[in-house]
Amino acid sequence: MKIIKHKQVNQKPLVIWGNCCGGIVSKIISCSALFFVIAIPMCGQTEMTAEEIIQTMTETMNPKQSQGTMKMTIVTTSGEERTFEYETFSKDKGDKSLMKYLYPSRVKGQTILMLNDANDIWTFFPKTKRVRKLATHAKKQKLEGSDFSYEDMGASNEFIEEYNSVRLNDEKKEGRACYKLELTRKPESSAGYSRLVVWVDKEYLVPLMIDYYHDDDPELWEKQLILSEIQLIDGIYTPMKVVMYNKLDATHTSMEITDITYEVDLPDDLFTEMGMQK
Amino acid sequence: MKRIYFTALISLVLCICLYAEVDIYGYFEPQYTGIYTDENYYQFQSNKLRVDLKSTIVNNVEFGADVIYLLYFGATNWNILDFLPDQITSPIPLDQRALFQITYGDSFYLDNVYARLANYRFALTVGKQQISLGTGYFSNPTDVFNTKDALDPTYEQPGHNAIRLDAYLADRFGIMLMYTPVEWDWQNSGKLVRLKTGLGHFDISVLGYEFQHTTTDFYTFIQTQQRRRLLGADFVGEILGFGVWGEGCYNFMDDDDDNFFEFLIGTDYTFEGGLYTMFEYHHNSSGESDYPEYDLNDWMQFFTGETKTISQDQVYGLIQYPLTDFIMVGTSAIFSISDQSIALVPMVYYSIFENVELTLMFNLYIGEEGKVFSSSLGNGGLMRAQIYF
Repeated sequence: MKIIKHKQVNQKPLVIWGNCCGGIVSKIISCSALFFVIAIPMCGQTEMTAEEIIQTMTETMNPKQSQGTMKMTIVTTSGEERTFEYETFSKDKGDKSLMKYLYPSRVKGQTILMLNDANDIWTFFPKTKRVRKLATHAKKQKLEGSDFSYEDMGASNEFIEEYNSVRLNDEKKEGRACYKLELTRKPESSAGYSRLVVWVDKEYLVPLMIDYYHDDDPELWEKQLILSEIQLIDGIYTPMKVVMYNKLDATHTSMEITDITYEVDLPDDLFTEMGMQK
Repeated sequence: MKRIYFTALISLVLCICLYAEVDIYGYFEPQYTGIYTDENYYQFQSNKLRVDLKSTIVNNVEFGADVIYLLYFGATNWNILDFLPDQITSPIPLDQRALFQITYGDSFYLDNVYARLANYRFALTVGKQQISLGTGYFSNPTDVFNTKDALDPTYEQPGHNAIRLDAYLADRFGIMLMYTPVEWDWQNSGKLVRLKTGLGHFDISVLGYEFQHTTTDFYTFIQTQQRRRLLGADFVGEILGFGVWGEGCYNFMDDDDDNFFEFLIGTDYTFEGGLYTMFEYHHNSSGESDYPEYDLNDWMQFFTGETKTISQDQVYGLIQYPLTDFIMVGTSAIFSISDQSIALVPMVYYSIFENVELTLMFNLYIGEEGKVFSSSLGNGGLMRAQIYF
């Protein structure tokens, strides 16, 4: 667990162990936005509908702005590990996000810009100084061989716009009372997963676990995302660690926040082609 | 004048670097290439060391440079005529054959050296720098600065001397102005203007570039120069879930008979599971439409980069699949529609360690002698390691 700056509230960290956030994770990784949940006690809202839960969760999980650094570790089936570090910036509740690799040298300086809920993606390669725009199908591609795709990293409103949600029986995860929701892809949607099952902490409306099901087979369990080590940063509950388990490949990738702040004023010009090269 | 300019720029960069924190990084790249022809097997090795220096001494001011040290081994002397059809090479007198020889000698040079003044709204870059234009993958008709190797199109390109201003004027709207000096003669130097904007999920740009174009007659080795005015455009976006892009240009030459146009269109798609597919079509009106028309100048102007293709129409296809998290396998194919020959390029990329990449690439030419991808050009492959630091 890394030390986090800008702690404003000395509230006891909420450690979440079990399975949690699935679809939400997508957004968390790319923009950091997903990692941040505003501390809004939801007492007395146990009768919320699935749509209300998803709506509130999405709103609270996308802070207005954020800036941080993250460490991503890929673990292969053979146990081999790869580590990447990058800096992230997000604005407009995750609508705009930018991530810049800091480590290792092989990818240092490579930058990914995502706008419009990751429907527009650009990458910058410092060695050739070339900016390349990617089509949305590229969201299915793995990010540097990790278990996270571009789609997992972006699309802050995807749960609302791309899926129909149904509330299932409530369950406990690691001692925390959770709403359990099933999200089914809308017929017209191009989202990369056919179905999601999401466990949302009742008190803080933080996703704790998400199960992802295959694009072509709603019964084929493809990935599982678990959020844990939640701390209160700048008044926002923030999962400091997220792990994505690939159930088909038997690999997993963890992402840890090493530094984060929400009290920043990021210029709009950062989220441009020139901002990528700055 | 040019030498003084570069000397001053390099001196400035080095002085600044002495007083500022310098970020040093780069890579070492050993490479082995083997080529097999009907008569011979050629081995060619190189060891390349690239060291990048970057320093930000004042906020918004950056100095950058990279030096390359290249050592060659094996078959370092090549005669292009050995790979061309007899009907083209036989008329060349014996005493002129040495003129077609290429020798790879060890070299040490500054590939890029520049100063950059930039904020989020504009960037002024002066010096030898990377310039890349266009949206194409295996070829860029609007990019007259670089000539891509269709077998290995993503390999880095050399730096170019230029003064370049990029300005971001409004949301997704910017302008690029560039001056590429030729002996500081305004008339002969290159002047480029490019406007770029966003329209929905598309990025679109138009550009004009005026510069001195050199053509070599390889029968007489006489070079002629004429003014070339390139008017072009490119776009990249998405239609029905498929990535689409294109670029094209019309080239107005001093001699109207030499006017020509080029365009490229492409599309790509990633399937569930990560299978990536790409297709591009390229047309070059200055290319030949049938291989009996190919002459010595067509071949040599292609090899020297004076023209981008020999044949008029070609298509490029690429398939890549992530076999594991760190191994990517794929195959590209370049098909010359004009002469019905094809080159297949199977490849494997392996990220063996965090900072070490291995590339294994083969080239298999399937075509009769005299065609663009004739087997007489030699089949083979290369192994390359890139060790980053």
